[in-house]
Amino acid sequence: MQTIELTVNGEPLKASVDPRTTLADFLREQADARSIHLGCEHGVCGGCTIVVNGKIARSCIALAVAMDGADIRTLEGLSDDPSIVQLRDSFHTCHGLQCGYCTPGMLITARDIINRYGEADEAFLREALAGNICRCTGYAGIVKAVQHAAAELTKTRSNLK
Amino acid sequence: MKPGALNYVRPNSVQEAIASLEEGGMDAKIIAGGQSLVPMLNLRMVSAERLIDIGGIPGFREFSADDREVRLGACITHERIQIGEVTDPSNGLMPKVASAIAYQAVRNRGTIGGSMALADPSADWLTTTAALGATVEWEGPDGKNSCLSEEFVVAAYTTQLGMSDLLTGIRIPRLHPDAKWGTYKLCRKVGEFAHAMAIAIRSPSATRAFLGATEGAPVRLKHTEDVLSTLKEWHAAHASVLSQSMDSDIAESGREFDDVHIWQLRTCLLRSAQMSFGVKPVEPEGL
Repeated sequence: MQTIELTVNGEPLKASVDPRTTLADFLREQADARSIHLGCEHGVCGGCTIVVNGKIARSCIALAVAMDGADIRTLEGLSDDPSIVQLRDSFHTCHGLQCGYCTPGMLITARDIINRYGEADEAFLREALAGNICRCTGYAGIVKAVQHAAAELTKTRSNLK
Repeated sequence: MKPGALNYVRPNSVQEAIASLEEGGMDAKIIAGGQSLVPMLNLRMVSAERLIDIGGIPGFREFSADDREVRLGACITHERIQIGEVTDPSNGLMPKVASAIAYQAVRNRGTIGGSMALADPSADWLTTTAALGATVEWEGPDGKNSCLSEEFVVAAYTTQLGMSDLLTGIRIPRLHPDAKWGTYKLCRKVGEFAHAMAIAIRSPSATRAFLGATEGAPVRLKHTEDVLSTLKEWHAAHASVLSQSMDSDIAESGREFDDVHIWQLRTCLLRSAQMSFGVKPVEPEGL
């Protein structure tokens, strides 16, 4: 066992970890971050996507032991984030989810796309979302939701100016 | 789908990492971004009694640039190349390649050094750094060593690195300011490993053409380079000439590819060549 100190959703956390433990399992079990969903466990499905030091990452293919000093945000810690608030609403409005298993990863990835690129066309969004697999919706609703959220956020921002 | 038992060490210097590698022998593995290694550990395709995390070694996340070249530390991530945070020696080729590696969440952690050292034949950097005439640097029990990127890969997952050698950085010569490039890779799904890829660079100082995702080392296309260097602009008729030159390059390389793979490689080469002339390749319908 090795000791790590990190910040999870703004809270400092000191924990003893078995070096083989993935970041996803660690956060689910020791930080109660149940928004992290494990699908493929080899970095393909995107269900476990979180934010590490401000950048999105797959928590199933990172080791917890390597996260000493890291600042981690899961969907739980982003509930008041303006992009996430809008995305949640847009996913509801545009039917961007069905069973919900991929949704936390979709929201975190979509937030990153919007923050990086702002509004984008459908072809670009479909490529940018290619790392997150959804087996229910056929993606049409998800793509619409991300476009809707990006447009709404642009409106809000220009109103603020 | 969880890794087996392992030990984790985080050395503070190259010397410490090499000593740890020597001590661990066959059971020690270097981990950089871990974006290929951890999936393989999860799937138990690979086991490691000792993981040596090189992410904390001073200088490994840094780059330096002068008039002639840019040197990237082994742990520079694909994302930092993608967004232009590190100096680009390649007139935009490297950021373009970086932006199409796997997915954003993977690019944020995966490193150029890790990708090179693993030498998955489909990995984008093997072909890109070879085409750019880059040099790979490493250090081991016998001291420092280096070689041209195009000589670095011996076969799939096999490089010049010895058991206790550690890739430390990559030096990329600056491309001529007037050099034009094209690159294309074929994947069944965005972000998947490529089935074929090609890079063509037309520079006043040298023309370079490479095929990647060849199940082994990237293949240099010398005859194709000769043909490309004589072309002034793109005509549809050039496609068959370049195809023929590619066929003779492959025949001379001694490598064998099945018909489908040849077709895929040819498609990538022709699209790369067109792109280097500023022609947007026509996407076949239904793709």
